[in-house]
Amino acid sequence: MVANINEIQSAAAALLNEGKVKLVLGYRVRGNDRVPAFVTQADQVGCLAYDSACTQNLAAYLRKGEVRSRMPLAVVARPEVMRSLMLLTAESQIAEGQVTVLAVDEQGFHGVLDLAGTAKLLNEQYARIAPDSSLMEQLAKIEAMTPQERSAFWSEQFEPCTRCYACRAACPGCFCERCIVEMNTPQWISTAAESHGNFAWHMIRAFHQAGRCVECGACQDACPQGIPLMLLNHFIAREVEREFDARNGYDPQAEPVIGSWKQDDKQEYIR
Amino acid sequence: MSNLYQPTVMRIASARDEAPEIRTFRLEFTDDQYKQDFYKKYRVGMFGLYGLPGAGESTFCVASPPTRTDYIECTFRRTGRVTAALQDREAGQTITFRGPYGNSFPIDQWKGRNIIFIAGGIALPPVRSVIWNVLDRRSEFGKVTIVYGARTVADLVYKDELAQWEAMDDVELITTVDPGGETADWKGKIGFVPTVVKDSAPSPEDCVAVVCGPPIMIKFTLPVLTDLGFAAGDIFTTLENRMKCGIGKCGRCNVGSLYVCKDGPVFTVEQVGKMPQGDL
Amino acid sequence: MKTLEATKLADLAAALTAAGYRVIAPCQRGDQVHLECYQAGKTLRADVIPVNSAKDALFPRSEVIGRYRFEGNEFETVPVAPQAGKTVLLAVRPCDAAALAPLDAVFNWDYKDEFYNAHRDATTVVALACTAADDQCFCTSVGGSPDSTANADAVLRPADGGKRFILESLTDKGQAIAAAGQAVLTEGQAQADPPAQVAPAFDSAAVTAWAKDGFDSPLWKELSLACMGCGACAYTCPTCHCFDIQDEATRREGVRLRNWDACGFGLFTKHAGGHNPRHDQASRWRQRVMHKFAYFPERFEMLACTGCGRCGRLCGNGMSIREVCSQIEQAAQAGVK
Ligand code: SF4
Ligand code: SF4
Ligand code: SF4
Ligand code: FES
Repeated sequence: MVANINEIQSAAAALLNEGKVKLVLGYRVRGNDRVPAFVTQADQVGCLAYDSACTQNLAAYLRKGEVRSRMPLAVVARPEVMRSLMLLTAESQIAEGQVTVLAVDEQGFHGVLDLAGTAKLLNEQYARIAPDSSLMEQLAKIEAMTPQERSAFWSEQFEPCTRCYACRAACPGCFCERCIVEMNTPQWISTAAESHGNFAWHMIRAFHQAGRCVECGACQDACPQGIPLMLLNHFIAREVEREFDARNGYDPQAEPVIGSWKQDDKQEYIR
Repeated sequence: MSNLYQPTVMRIASARDEAPEIRTFRLEFTDDQYKQDFYKKYRVGMFGLYGLPGAGESTFCVASPPTRTDYIECTFRRTGRVTAALQDREAGQTITFRGPYGNSFPIDQWKGRNIIFIAGGIALPPVRSVIWNVLDRRSEFGKVTIVYGARTVADLVYKDELAQWEAMDDVELITTVDPGGETADWKGKIGFVPTVVKDSAPSPEDCVAVVCGPPIMIKFTLPVLTDLGFAAGDIFTTLENRMKCGIGKCGRCNVGSLYVCKDGPVFTVEQVGKMPQGDL
Repeated sequence: MKTLEATKLADLAAALTAAGYRVIAPCQRGDQVHLECYQAGKTLRADVIPVNSAKDALFPRSEVIGRYRFEGNEFETVPVAPQAGKTVLLAVRPCDAAALAPLDAVFNWDYKDEFYNAHRDATTVVALACTAADDQCFCTSVGGSPDSTANADAVLRPADGGKRFILESLTDKGQAIAAAGQAVLTEGQAQADPPAQVAPAFDSAAVTAWAKDGFDSPLWKELSLACMGCGACAYTCPTCHCFDIQDEATRREGVRLRNWDACGFGLFTKHAGGHNPRHDQASRWRQRVMHKFAYFPERFEMLACTGCGRCGRLCGNGMSIREVCSQIEQAAQAGVK
């Protein structure tokens, strides 16, 4: 547990007591697990906990009707979750005043912030979140593969996918009311949980995350079949950084990388 | 055992547009065995899955009675991918069908009794099969009353048949359109179905009621019938849950522990009242 | 008695494969263990409860149930028969074997589903008695037990402190496995290890009783708050069997597919016209619990949960059915409606 957990608790209690929020979304301990906590009364804040095992991206709940109806609310947010909140702001899913941030990282609690304050903190303190080194190694290996090897590698990885779309549900960025895989006039992607359909699904998911994925790891954690989704996400995020000089989830006013055009885009994709 | 999901192919004998976005197909079996099996099972109220390969299947009732054995009919609204694809088919072309599925209106138990049919909008088709079945066996039943309403005159379906029923001496037909939906030459009533039922005050004496229509119409018609003295067990309706398999497997149509596709779609209002309302 | 050295499970899988079986067994895949088709070189793990269930072998996640050819505006239907090869579920847990009862029930009441039954008939179940359980297991709370042989054709019992297995054949299908695996089995004596201790988690009868009048309980909202509606629990559950039917076509041919689906999804009951009877996650979670503990028992006289604990192991939001049922039991005891 982080050392100053009681500061999170008292900050949450104060927000609830002052009527600034109706709900505090945080974590609590249950057995060996860390599970989401939904605190609505100041006298319940004692259950709030935070440590590095609290990996769920709670921003994903901001899409759920039952949670949205309890806005304004506060979210216990580590840097990746803060980045999700920036993305959701940039994409008009939330607005200043609806969400208050209880900023945390592995060192502890860093205060109560509004969305503008969160943007400032992110850019000052967490501008460079080092990508996971073991993932980077794996990525290097994949990049060294021939196209045939690469395609065989990914097919093998996607094979167990049952198309439950838990990865989508766990991702705060996947908020479309009707996802492209559910559109059927016309049908864009095969719904069959086998090689072709799975490949198409994972490509579409990755591309829809280009310029958006904040690399929180929630999708991979949610996947019951152990598909290494973060490999793809990291790959695309690095590519976006290289091509567009953009890092996702730092600017609450950001234009969508894929949906907008700038004079100085490198355009290396257009060959 | 055979493939339950394998549909039969039906030829569209004729197609006609009933109202905006609403179309009726008269379908002929291309497989004699399927036809024979169909008529062995078919009773009014049952439904089928009509489909077009590549688009999918959609559930609607069989709108023609079992007393018509040369063809079946269906009438449906354009609501999505499947119904759009089906509506674009023309006479002479084929579609798929599987069924009949579900339970039926217990009309044999209604012998000798009076019947009032109350339908709104696109919900006339399920009622129409019962009406024709009753009219084809006219002498077995008492007084027959039909109340049918739609939003506007253009939205009324089966206009030819309304005229036929109108002309019958032993059928009382009341048609109505919502206020503002009438045309200059409209001769029927103007008003909502529940009000029209209330004004016509049918006697509950030895009478069963069949009520099908949009939820809002049903909601306001039922209290009217109750006030008139109809028992909930004498009022019949159909549930329109989403269905995929039609045969009690896929779990989509569940209302509480019921499978609407197997235990329904026909229920009395008494039965519906006992269901968990949050699943309806 | 017939015994198998613990190190030779893969050899048994290989022998059965050679005998023409598709062998579904717990295989190492990355840092997880999956029930999947054995192939030479895969490592088998009898010591870990696989993340997925065995239902994929009987009720595949996607299965072709119709086939069509197109010619311009016309189509013709092409008959399809189930593609059901001889299969063995090797070393599946008793809770997986137990799940065949609810699946058998739903795919055979009234209409008999040809596809499911073809797979079922072609399948031999070799259960693995559990000598260890984790803190998510609760088979004993839902009528099962770690050494149950229900629905099994043969059972592997860990023996001599895990050094070997005893293979007991219970049916003709089970005998056939023993015969096909002859070369790797030994005739000898062994002392079966004691079954796992599985602590009771909740009283399922109390949950069923509460659920009978619990449909409109305000409790569902609180119980389901953490659920994100991802459906992973249903996809890994050995008894969940809801499905969708989808057509997929090119200009020349098309298939009709039966794909897994889940009552936890928002679109599951949504009508084309927009009305959705189960409009929030609370009503969908209610369906999940009610279906398993109230509706299924009402119609088929059995629970639709075998206590495998998978939903608890994988749900990152702590929404295991075990946890929710325990909370319901507590509510029932406290007289909360
Ligand atoms: S990747 Fe995993 S979570 Fe996503 S659809 Fe496939 S099985 Fe489900
Ligand atoms: S209970 Fe958990 S696994 Fe199941 S749908 Fe909800 S979040 Fe997903
Ligand atoms: S509900 Fe959970 S514990 Fe019960 S059988 Fe399904 S996955 Fe296993
Ligand atoms: S429609 Fe599939 S179970 Fe009723």
